[in-house]
Amino acid sequence: MKDNITQAGQKLLRAMARHSDIIMQAYVKGAVDESLYSSQVLENLQNLGILWRPDIESDLRLRRIVRALLEEGLSDERNRQVDANIGSALAKVTTLVAHYKEACNKHRFTEAESHFADLTELTYAMIDSLKQGVRGLWSRIHKEFGYVASIDAKIRENQLAQQQVTDILSQLEMFHFDNLAQEAGSNRDLRRLLVVTLQSNFAAVTQELSLVQARLNELLGRFREFQGRTRLLKGFVLHIEQQPDYNPQNYAKHSQVPSVFNQAQAIIQPAAIDVRNANHEADLAQIVGRIKAILHLRNHTPQAAAQTVKIEQSQPVELIENKIRRCVEDYFCRIIDTGERLSALDYHIEHQLEFDHEAWIYQVIGGYEALPSNDKAYFGLEKSIKDHPQFNGNKIIEDVSLWFS
Amino acid sequence: MMTQQGQVLETLLSGGFVCRISNEDMFNFLQQPQTAQQIENQLNILNRTLTKAADGEVFYASYLSLADKERAVLERQFKEITANLLPLVEWLLLVQESTGQDVPLSQGSAIRLNELQTTIEDTPALLEQLGKISTFPLFGSTSKTADGQLKQVFKRLGELGYLVKPNSEKQIYIATGKLEYLYEVIRFIDETEALSLTEQAEAAMQQGVLL
Repeated sequence: MKDNITQAGQKLLRAMARHSDIIMQAYVKGAVDESLYSSQVLENLQNLGILWRPDIESDLRLRRIVRALLEEGLSDERNRQVDANIGSALAKVTTLVAHYKEACNKHRFTEAESHFADLTELTYAMIDSLKQGVRGLWSRIHKEFGYVASIDAKIRENQLAQQQVTDILSQLEMFHFDNLAQEAGSNRDLRRLLVVTLQSNFAAVTQELSLVQARLNELLGRFREFQGRTRLLKGFVLHIEQQPDYNPQNYAKHSQVPSVFNQAQAIIQPAAIDVRNANHEADLAQIVGRIKAILHLRNHTPQAAAQTVKIEQSQPVELIENKIRRCVEDYFCRIIDTGERLSALDYHIEHQLEFDHEAWIYQVIGGYEALPSNDKAYFGLEKSIKDHPQFNGNKIIEDVSLWFS
Repeated sequence: MMTQQGQVLETLLSGGFVCRISNEDMFNFLQQPQTAQQIENQLNILNRTLTKAADGEVFYASYLSLADKERAVLERQFKEITANLLPLVEWLLLVQESTGQDVPLSQGSAIRLNELQTTIEDTPALLEQLGKISTFPLFGSTSKTADGQLKQVFKRLGELGYLVKPNSEKQIYIATGKLEYLYEVIRFIDETEALSLTEQAEAAMQQGVLL
């Protein structure tokens, strides 16, 4: 039996996961575009109770329970419904308690256990829905009803929330703990569930609700003030438009001038400097220093007479580096001219170059590497390498040979 | 270094308004009955008294007794205030419409000039209104561009003490308590002269007159 339920539930959840795109489309847009999906899939979803068609001509929509699940999971602010049907839940509690007690009396303990499980589920669901309602109200308060733009709409939303608080409060009045305690009798499990758990949550919810109510009233007051101000401003503009020559009475002439129009004139002027105050010396000197000298008023001294300027060629200084680079270039040219393979050291000996062997080889490699990649492709370079006698992994380049390919 | 008391006294005697946005320390100083009394005593010597407006949100100095000289000052001031009412109200409505939040500016509201400018530049109706507002003598802008007009309007409002700019490098302005004072002036005129401005606006909105 249990396996059956598990399997069916998993099948439902899998169907939801597989068709999450359809479900989300229905959630966001309100209805499913039936042309996009195969009719078989939609049929299947309808059979599973995820989608439904309110009447023959309307589109497929999401079932309320699925929507509620999504709203809750996404903390969507569109969820403004507060479920406060405590009355029927309480009636169900009483019924289940009666079932449970009867089963206990007749010593049908498995049956009693199942009734108790139902009762627990129901109680927690009741608490959860109450808390959910309060949470929803708080989230709306925190956002100051930001999902609607105009102040008028905010006021309407606030009134809706107030109505919901009143509803929850009137539903809460239906809790009669003395009755519940009586129902529970001396049964320990029942007492814990119906008296302790319910009561502590009841107290918490009532307290929260009173805070919610206070905040809602405060917000309503603020919204009304905003509304009043906007109307005041608009009314003023309207009044001026209708009576362009309007001027308020001259309240300054009244024997009792209203305090809003009684503003004393400014009487403080900047103080003068005291040059004899030694404490201010540094500051004053700084101010004097910042005074800009006005140059164009002063008589300029005549410009100095022109002189001939001799320009001499500066002594050419050639760097050894340039020399070695030129030799490398000659070496490359030789390779290009002959097209033959030639070792760098051979060239060095042949031309009796004065550079150090190591520097020469280094420069040749450098010259090769510095070529643009297009030109590099014309040359081939091979390094004759020897392992280092002492440190393995280190190589010593003894010579390089270059050819034109 | 001047004491807190000296600073408060200087601000009040130079015709400034003290609110919690423009200077919180001074505002707290004036909120304490003991220190407020000290200031009051000093102001009294100069025929001035400490006055609260807008539910105690702003403090300023007003005359203690009125002779002809003071009345002349007040009359001049009154003319100035009433002449400035319309441009200020129109500006408030412009900002309210541009921010799209339907919330009137009040003490502590932040205005981001860049955002405001973008919205206004994108909406021809608002652009026209800005052009109209900026040419009022109060703002006196001669600029042809929305950018120049807005800058001039906000600069003037800063000078008049309606706005403060907490960070000189950022174009964010915060409305001061003087704005609350402005609302009080309008409300006072409305009540005293029984203009029933709110009702007029309400009736107009119901008839669908575009405002």
